[in-house]
Parts: sequence; C-alpha cells; structure tokens
Amino acid sequence: MEEYAREPCPYRIVDDCGGAFAMGCIGGGVFQAIKGYRNAPSGISRRLLGSLTAIKQRSPIIAGNFAVWGGMFSTIDCTLVHFRKKEDPWNSIISGAATGGILAARNGVPAMAGSAIIGGVLLALIEGVGILFTRLSADQFRNPSPPTEDPQSLM
Amino acid sequence: MSADYLSQPLSFADAAPSSRNTQTVTPLSPYLNYDPRYLQAAQPEFIFPEGAAKQRGRFELAFSQIGSSVMIGAAIGGTAGFYNGVRATALAQQTGKLRRTQLLNHIMKQGSSTANTLGTLAVMYSGFGVLLQWVRGEEDEINTLLAGTATGMLYKSTVGLRRCAMGGGVGLGIATLYCLYTTATSGSKINFNKPYM
Repeated sequence: MEEYAREPCPYRIVDDCGGAFAMGCIGGGVFQAIKGYRNAPSGISRRLLGSLTAIKQRSPIIAGNFAVWGGMFSTIDCTLVHFRKKEDPWNSIISGAATGGILAARNGVPAMAGSAIIGGVLLALIEGVGILFTRLSADQFRNPSPPTEDPQSLM
Repeated sequence: MSADYLSQPLSFADAAPSSRNTQTVTPLSPYLNYDPRYLQAAQPEFIFPEGAAKQRGRFELAFSQIGSSVMIGAAIGGTAGFYNGVRATALAQQTGKLRRTQLLNHIMKQGSSTANTLGTLAVMYSGFGVLLQWVRGEEDEINTLLAGTATGMLYKSTVGLRRCAMGGGVGLGIATLYCLYTTATSGSKINFNKPYM
C-alpha cells in the first residue's frame, strides 16, 4: 500500500473518525467472534451461530464507540492546534484526557475524572512510545558523515 | 561532532577544524562547496516508478468515506431521534429535567444506531473496494458495482437467501445510480479508467 499521510487539520477529524470506526468494526468483530464462540452452548454449529450473532449485535456498537472517541479526540486536537499554534505530544495528551472526561459527562463527576485520567495516561503512553521509537530509529536515518577532505581540493 | 551537525545548517566550513586552518577558506557561496558525490544524478527520481499512472486509490479514501458516513448517520439519526423524542415526551407528559434526559436518551440511541448502520455499510464497501482493487490490479467502475453488490449481499447475508439477493440488488442499484451520476457529471461515456470511488 502507498504511504499513508494524515490529512490537514479540519479534514483529519473525519479521517480519524473513520479510521477509529473501521478499527473498532474489524477488531470488535474479531473479539466478539471469539467471545460469542466461547459463550455459546456446545456444538460447533451453535457455537458458530453464537459467534455470528455476537458479531452482528455488538461489533457495530463497539465501532460506534471507537468512532465517537476518535472523532472527539481529533476535534479537540485540532482545536488545540488552532489555539496553541503548535503540534506537540501535549496536544494529544490533553485531548485524550478531555475526550475521556467529556464522553463520561453523563455519569457524574467521579466517573469523568477517572475517565479523564485514563484517557490522558493512555495517550501519554502512546506518545511516549512514539517518541521512544523515533529516538531509537533516528540512528538509521542519520546522514552519512560529511566529507573530511578539504573542499578546496575539489576545485 | 557526529550529532551536532544535524541541528546546524549545512556548512562544511568547519567540518575538519583540526586538520587545517579553515579561516582562510572563504567559499564563494555555502552552496557551491558541496561534495558532488552526494548529488546522485545517475538515475532519475520518480515519486512513482511507473510515472503518472498511479493515483490515489481506495485505501487513501476509505477512512474519510467511513468517517463521513458515520458523521452523516449520526446527524440524521440524531435529528430523527430529537423529533421522535419531542413527540414521545410530549405524549408521556414529561417535563423539565426528566424530559431533557429522555430527549438526550432518544437522540443518543437513534443517532448512534443510524451512525453504526451507515458506518458498518461504509466499512464493508471500503473493504470490498480495496480488496477488489488489490485483486484485479486496476481501479474502475466495475469495482464500484461489484463492491456495492457484495456489500448489500453481506449486509443481508444472515436473513435468508432471498433477502440476501435483494440486498445485493439494492447495492447494485445504488452503485449503478452512482456510476451513472458520476459519468453524467463528468460529461462523457462510461469511463472504465476513471480512478477512485
């Protein structure tokens, strides 16, 4: 597949929402297939049927939750980019925490705080791992060392 | 020395400060004393090796298609849910805080279910589209038609053969309408080399 670059900011929201939905749909489908298979009564056909039912019933809901998370995250991320005029890991961490908090808004303040902390820590971990990988792989992309001979000798 | 030149602008004036006194080296331009070995002029550099034939394929468009389907579904479902919620709460004579919560429940329920349905359809369509593009190795309107049909059939695949076929027919119909629309707006006959969608 070709190189996949992220869209510029306002369109990134739609893109992230779709990516999260696809991820939730496929990943949730696999997860629900296993869960439905295990929870079904014995007999291979019943198990497959249970698996199918679980996929049909649950995976769109998981996908929808993922999509809401992704869309909200991206919206806050873009808002922060607009107001802070820079893109750094703090944007992601702040928007992760804010997304967790906002999406738990109907469950009361303690639940909001818990979700916000979970969201922030999760995004901080993701960003940290990303920075770590960048640091580790930076050596491979280092330029060849500059020529040591005097440039005048080339003339 | 190995690391700090990365953060500096490119200049070789003090690349080897110990070997020679570089104060006397004053080049005409910082761009002229560049080692020609680094300019690989031997082979041409194309972004895509085949030339300009490569276009943005389905995979690049898939996520935005899915995302816009989800968002449109959420908007439609939310509006319908608001309408239904207003009616239902008025019928049940709920007021104040109770009515507000019930309205929110209606909007969330209907909005998310519509969004999920449309998004799942989009995921199926994009998946089939990417798969067909990959298998057939080209991108044209046959892909659109096949992907639409397959999406309809897969979506209705668990409720019996007849309705599965009906779903496939509906998918084929929508895909055909879309193809006709795009060819009508592009002002040509059906163009089987048209990229994307």
